[in-house]
Amino acid sequence: MCVGLPARVVSVNDGTAIIDANGAKRDVRAELLDDLEPGDYVMVHAGVAIAKIESDDETEGNEVMGILAI
Amino acid sequence: MNDIIERARDIITGYDGPKVRIMEVCGTHTHEIFRLGIRSLLPENIDLISGPGCPVCVTPVGFIDEAIYLANEKNCLITTFGDLIKVPGTEMNLAKARANGAKIRPVYSPDDAVEIARENPSEEVVFLSVGFETTTPSSCLAVKKAKDLGLKNFSILTANKSMPNAYLKLKGSANAFIYPGHVNAITGNAFCRQLKDLGVSGVVAGFTATELMTALAVTIEMLKKGEPFFVNCYPRVVKDEGSIQAQKLMDEVMELCDTQWRGLGTIEKSGMKLKNEFSDFDSRIKYNIPHIEGKPNPGCRCGEVLQGHCKPSDCPLFGKICTPLHAVGACMVSDEGACSAYYQYNSSINN
Amino acid sequence: MENVITLAHGSGSIQTSELIDKIFKSNFDNPYLTADDAAVLPNDTGKTAMSTDGFIVSPYEFPGGNIGKLAVCGSVNDIACMGAKPKFMTCSYIIEEGFPVEELEKIAKSMGDTARKAGIQIVAGDTKVAGKGQVDKIFITTTAIGDIVEGVNTSGAFAKPGDKIIVTGDVGRHGCTILLARNEFNIDADITSDCAPLWNNIETVFNETKDIHVIRDATRGGVGTVLYEIAHQSNVGISLESDKIPVDPGVRGVCAMLGLEPLYLACEGRLVFFVPAEVADKVVDALRKCENSEKAAIIGEVTDENKGKVILNTAVGARTILSRPSGELLPRIC
Repeated sequence: MCVGLPARVVSVNDGTAIIDANGAKRDVRAELLDDLEPGDYVMVHAGVAIAKIESDDETEGNEVMGILAI
Repeated sequence: MNDIIERARDIITGYDGPKVRIMEVCGTHTHEIFRLGIRSLLPENIDLISGPGCPVCVTPVGFIDEAIYLANEKNCLITTFGDLIKVPGTEMNLAKARANGAKIRPVYSPDDAVEIARENPSEEVVFLSVGFETTTPSSCLAVKKAKDLGLKNFSILTANKSMPNAYLKLKGSANAFIYPGHVNAITGNAFCRQLKDLGVSGVVAGFTATELMTALAVTIEMLKKGEPFFVNCYPRVVKDEGSIQAQKLMDEVMELCDTQWRGLGTIEKSGMKLKNEFSDFDSRIKYNIPHIEGKPNPGCRCGEVLQGHCKPSDCPLFGKICTPLHAVGACMVSDEGACSAYYQYNSSINN
Repeated sequence: MENVITLAHGSGSIQTSELIDKIFKSNFDNPYLTADDAAVLPNDTGKTAMSTDGFIVSPYEFPGGNIGKLAVCGSVNDIACMGAKPKFMTCSYIIEEGFPVEELEKIAKSMGDTARKAGIQIVAGDTKVAGKGQVDKIFITTTAIGDIVEGVNTSGAFAKPGDKIIVTGDVGRHGCTILLARNEFNIDADITSDCAPLWNNIETVFNETKDIHVIRDATRGGVGTVLYEIAHQSNVGISLESDKIPVDPGVRGVCAMLGLEPLYLACEGRLVFFVPAEVADKVVDALRKCENSEKAAIIGEVTDENKGKVILNTAVGARTILSRPSGELLPRIC
C-alpha cells in the first residue's frame, strides 16, 4: 500500500530535510524523526521521512534467516 | 541473485506440505511480487493471494463521486495522488472529469497541495486524502501546515483507512498474512502480536527482492511448525513500538470512524477523519457535501476477489466490459491490481 | 472507446494504438500506411521513406534541448529507422499570440543547427499565429523524407526468433527530464534529455552489416512500448534481462520516488535494434564508437514462444510479464 523510497539525508533544517535518492533530490518533512543527521538513511513516503533505515537488506536478510537455523 | 535469495528460493520451491494460503495485504507488495515474478516460483501447494491493502482498490465509488462533485459544482481544484486518477466513480473517473474541464492535478505529497493553495489564493484547493497509517501522517502534517499558514482555501476530503480492524474482518482468509512493512513502521507491531494471540499468523515484510523472498521463506518454515507466529522480517525499518511521533500526530489531528471499503462493506473503526478542531479543513463540512451514494456496477465482484473468495475470471464482467483500458472495478485499475494482473497474464508464461 | 479524447489517447499507450486503428487507419487505408515509424514509398531508382511528427512539448526549452531540436530529431530518426539517409524536411509552426520573438529565434537557430548536424535541409515551412490561449506557446510539426540505403530492408514486422535486441543507451532520460522541467513534483536531479539525431549511428551500423531486421526509435511510450509494438507486429515473444537494461542512476532515483517504470518513460535519442545473433556483437561494438550510443547494450532476445508478450527475467531468477501501462504515466504512492 505504500511505496517507500530509501534515500540519504543531505541536510536537515527545522523539521524538513533534503534527501537524495541516486541523485534525485527533494525537500521532505522530517519532524517525525529525532536526531536526524546528514548521511543518515531514511524511508520516505509521500514527501515524509517515516523511518530511519538501520542497515542494508542483505545484513537484515542474514539476521532474519538466522532465526530459521535454530 | 544473492545467496540469501537463493536460500529463500530453495525453501519456497521445496515446500511439499499441505496446501497453504498466504495473503500479501499490501498493494506495493503485490506490485513487487508481480514485478519480480515471485508467483511463478511457487509450488502448487502455496497460494499467494492479494489482499485489500491498496488505497485505490478499497476506495469506494462514492468517494470519487464526491471529488467530482467538488470539482464540478464547487469549482474546486482537486489535488490527488496519481493512483486515484483512473479509479472508476459511478459516472466517470477523474481523468474523464478532467477531459470535461474539471481541475484535477496529481501531486507527490499533500504538502505540495498546500503549496498550490498558497500560490493560488483564488483557487479552492482540495486534497484527496487516501491511504493507510503510512500515508495518513502526511495528510495530518499538511493540515497542520495549512492551519499555521492561516490558509482559508485548503481542505482535505478524507478516505483514510486504518488496518487493525480490517485484519479482523479478513481473519480466516489465509493461513498467514504478509504484513505491510511501511504501515508497521508507523503503527508498530503490537496489533500483530494481538492477532497472533487470536491465532492469526503473519510476518512483516520489506519490499526488496531479498526482503520479500526472506519473508516468504520464514512464513513457510513457520507454517510447517503449526503454531501461530509473528516475525518481524523488516527490522531495519520497523521498530516494535513503531513511530511514536507519527502516532501522536495522528491522535492530535484525526480520529477513528466507521468507513466503507470497496468490496468489503463498512468496517467499524477502520477509517480516519479530521477531529473537530480541524473541521475548517474538512472538505465535507466546508462545502456541505450532500450524501452521495456511489453505485458500483452490480456485476462487479472485486470485493470477493480482494478477499480471495473468487478468481477474477469468475466475475461476469471480467475481460468483457471490464478490461485494463476500461476498468469497471478497482482491481482492474492499476497494472498490478488482482484483475489487471490476471488479465495481462491470461495464458501463463511458457518456460 | 471513450466518447471524448483524454490525455491517455496521446500517451503512446494502448489507447493511442486503439485511436489510430479505429479512427485513422480505417479512414485513410492504403497499401503504404503501416504501423512503422515512416512510410516506405517507391521512387524511380529505389525507395523513399517519409514521416511526419508534431511537437507540443511543455516546457518548450529543457535541459539538453528545446522544441526546435526535438522537432528535427523526431522526424529524422523516424525515417532513419527505415534505413533512409535524411534529405529534405518541411516544418509548420503554430505560435501563440504574445510569444517572444527572441525565443522564436532561439528555437529556429537550434532547429537549423540540428538539421545541419543531421544532414537534412529544411526546404519549406508554414507559420500560423493563434490567439492567446488557443495553443500553449508554440507547436511545431515537421515532415522528413530520405532515400533508403540500397540493400537495407527493415520493418517492425521483421523480428525473428533468435534475434538479439540492442538498445543504444540508457532509457527514459527525455521523459524524466521533461517531468522534472515541469516542476510539478519539486524534484531536483541532474538529468538532461537524450534528444539527438541518430542517422550517423545507423549509417555506422550499416557500414558493418546491412543484415538488420528492425530499427525503431523509442520516443513517447519509451522502450517498453516499442518492444510490445514489435512483439505484435512480428508476432514473436520478447525475453529481456532486467539487469542488462541501462538506466541512469538519477532517472532510477526519480522513478523510485514517483513509482514509475523507466522502460515506459520517453526517449528522444535512443534506438532499438533487432539483429541476427551472429552480428549482434559487431553492431554493439560499432555503436559504442559513435556519439550518443556509447552505452549500447544487448538487453534480450526474440523468442518463438510467448507471442505478443514481453517477458522479464528478474532478480530472483523468475520470469514475469512486463506490465503494459494503460494511459498516462502517473506518480503513485501504492
